[in-house]
Amino acid sequence: MTDDVTLLRDVHDMWEALDPAPADLADRILFTLALENVEHELMRLHESLAPVGARGPETAATMTFAAESLTVMVTVSDAGPRQRRIDGWIAPGAALRVELRTARGVQETVADTDGRFAFAALPAGLMQIMIHPTAGAALPLHRAVATPPVQL
Amino acid sequence: MTSTTSGDTGVAVPSWELAAREFAAWRAGDPDALDRLVRVLTPVLWHVVRAYGLDRESAEDVVQTTWLALVRNVESVRDPRAVMRWATTTARREAWRISRAGRREDVAEPETLDTALPPVDGPDKTVLAADTARILWRAFADLPERCRRLLRVIAFDDRPDYATLSAELGVPVGSIGPTRGRCLDKLRGRLAADPDWSGAA
Repeated sequence: MTDDVTLLRDVHDMWEALDPAPADLADRILFTLALENVEHELMRLHESLAPVGARGPETAATMTFAAESLTVMVTVSDAGPRQRRIDGWIAPGAALRVELRTARGVQETVADTDGRFAFAALPAGLMQIMIHPTAGAALPLHRAVATPPVQL
Repeated sequence: MTSTTSGDTGVAVPSWELAAREFAAWRAGDPDALDRLVRVLTPVLWHVVRAYGLDRESAEDVVQTTWLALVRNVESVRDPRAVMRWATTTARREAWRISRAGRREDVAEPETLDTALPPVDGPDKTVLAADTARILWRAFADLPERCRRLLRVIAFDDRPDYATLSAELGVPVGSIGPTRGRCLDKLRGRLAADPDWSGAA
């Protein structure tokens, strides 16, 4: 006869095998929690175009995110094995500070006056872009805007 | 029961204790401890919430909401040893609310679970575990819903809050212990009647 503790451990292991938590759930939660202390507006995913022209390993996907005061179009392309490149375009164009968060850390750049920015050699996985109010930019932001976390 | 083997000692540490340790470290100023706390407790919350029959998307929402509530109301967890109970109770309360509002799926049927299991393609350890899980599932699926929910909750949270659990299961607080015993006995009885189980376990 199996004792209670062993049987409950079997039930535990059974559920871990049959219905495990999504592998990236903890990562996505940590992304959300990291933004808790920064006052920000969460952008909505406006439009997402799946990889176009599925020719071999080359893929590019375009996503558009919308906030009250700006939109940002992001194109993700392959830059090598498990490496991605991001080209972004903020509209209206303004030299705003752009922060990109991945599981491996945070990178920062400043868009040009047309609102264009790029990040090269990013790890595949979850990422999130945050655009900050920036002194001297043509577009005054009241608070930061952030995309929801998306898979690169 | 919920436990993880600690690297240094090889002794199983219950989840609530791991959670208490990381929560205390985080409150003391170690930012990485929040990362570890989320990784320890998220699977626990997932299973507790799924025990209420929520579909995967709703279950993820409840787990996310629970973490936001914890971070926003961190002062209300006065004793780090209570952090797991705080989180599981918050998650169960929300899952219970949503399940009554109708956003739930029927408990998974063995047919659909078969496709969710890893393919049987070799006699390695995971395949054996999957086989055991399938046999155990056959017995588990036969149990009354109240037993299935209670056993899944306590398999991941061995110190649940009895007051909320009693309301959700529709049994008095004093009956949860005996109900738990009867549910385990029923499961044991079904397993004893399954010749595949004695071979697998």
